[in-house]
Amino acid sequence: MKLDTSGFETSVPTIGFGSSSDMLDELSSVPSFDLPHTKEFDGFQKKAVDMLKHAKGTTTLAFIFKGGVMVAADSRASMGGYISSQSVKKIIEINPYMLGTMAGGAADCQFWHRNLGIKCRLHELANKRRISVSGASKLLANMLYSYRGMGLSVGTMIAGWDETGPGLYYVDNEGGRLKGDRFSVGSGSPYAYGVLDSGYKYEMSVEEASELARRSIYHATFRDGASGGVASVYHVGPEGWTKLSGDDVGELHYHYYPVPPAIAEQVMEEATTE
Amino acid sequence: MQIFEYNGSAVVAMVGKNCFAIASDRRLGVQLQTIATDFQRISKIHDHLFIGLSGLATDVQTLYQRLVFRHKLYQLREERDMKPETFASLVSAILYEKRFGPYLCQPVIAGLGDDNKPFICTMDSIGAKELAKDFVVSGTASESLYGACEAMFKPDMEAEELFETISQALLSSVDRDCLSGWGGHVYVVTPDEIKEKILKGRMD
Repeated sequence: MKLDTSGFETSVPTIGFGSSSDMLDELSSVPSFDLPHTKEFDGFQKKAVDMLKHAKGTTTLAFIFKGGVMVAADSRASMGGYISSQSVKKIIEINPYMLGTMAGGAADCQFWHRNLGIKCRLHELANKRRISVSGASKLLANMLYSYRGMGLSVGTMIAGWDETGPGLYYVDNEGGRLKGDRFSVGSGSPYAYGVLDSGYKYEMSVEEASELARRSIYHATFRDGASGGVASVYHVGPEGWTKLSGDDVGELHYHYYPVPPAIAEQVMEEATTE
Repeated sequence: MQIFEYNGSAVVAMVGKNCFAIASDRRLGVQLQTIATDFQRISKIHDHLFIGLSGLATDVQTLYQRLVFRHKLYQLREERDMKPETFASLVSAILYEKRFGPYLCQPVIAGLGDDNKPFICTMDSIGAKELAKDFVVSGTASESLYGACEAMFKPDMEAEELFETISQALLSSVDRDCLSGWGGHVYVVTPDEIKEKILKGRMD
């Protein structure tokens, strides 16, 4: 997929000295913007987005702690009120040391994460070293920015481990890119934040962190109608990512809140005569 | 989201051999957020007559209170309980009174009539009666419920088997609906007794 670089084209011809570097040419030209061919200049962007309005019905979260990055997500896909699947893989393995989460349009997320994986591999081959998390998230953010206003729905977190240590970035379809320690994305994120923020400590062990992540996803699936299915938890460490657990939230509920066994009613027995 | 899908609901009633079962989910939500997991959607009118209401929760409660009031008046005047067929006509009339500003709910009525013959019917929000011989459904999960009931229903089931069937149909249907579920509530009514059971379902 070609990047939309029409924003950098100019009517003024650039004088080239036979330089083969594309970057220099782009920087030296005057930026101008293509105007859309539409009667309704003010509202057309919103209309295009609303046409494909996917409410980001999901819960994903990721946080950095002492032992690396913990990434967790539910597995429900909903079309309006209908549950289309309870077993969607929302944590996408970009490469053995980087994970991306999926929130928003499933097709959008799957495609652009795979595209990012391709770009990361090309970077590795061209530069003989792995791309940083910062670089990978920037690539994705720039790709999404060039499709801004066209109705893509992507709310993703890029989590990985590079030379500077653990890295976590939030990237969305508006082209926004934020670096942070704790993120949760999706319709269930307020509920997940509640549990995550109150239980978070930087010095947690891997077991404590995975239990916190699992609990946060579980509580979000309980309260949010658009989240459910299986709570998957992944850990990103210096050696790369490993999948820690995938628990069905239906069973997790009765694990955290077991139903006390009902007291059997006393049955009146007839006294036997001997 | 549509107004009927604001709170989320699922109600189903099935006919058995001289008995009937009526079941509902227990979720009360505000669009996607779950507020309560013990909302009462099925109510008893008298020992052999139950009504389950799906749709907007406030109308569910108000309509139930109005119907209980009308039935109590009937009991005082006629000195007996209302027959299910009569009650269905009463509900239909009350709903049509509000034709141009309707109660936003769909009732499911189930009762035992003369000779303990089971009677079920459902209505749309302005009182169109739909009598059925086997099962009736309503709520946000109604399409899944139709499919599940059609597949699982057999005529002339006894109370135990009927309970199993309606529970399975309800749970598997609400598992495909974001807006209903979080447990189930089943009443199985025979001429001698009413059995009320809470179902353990997926709480997501």
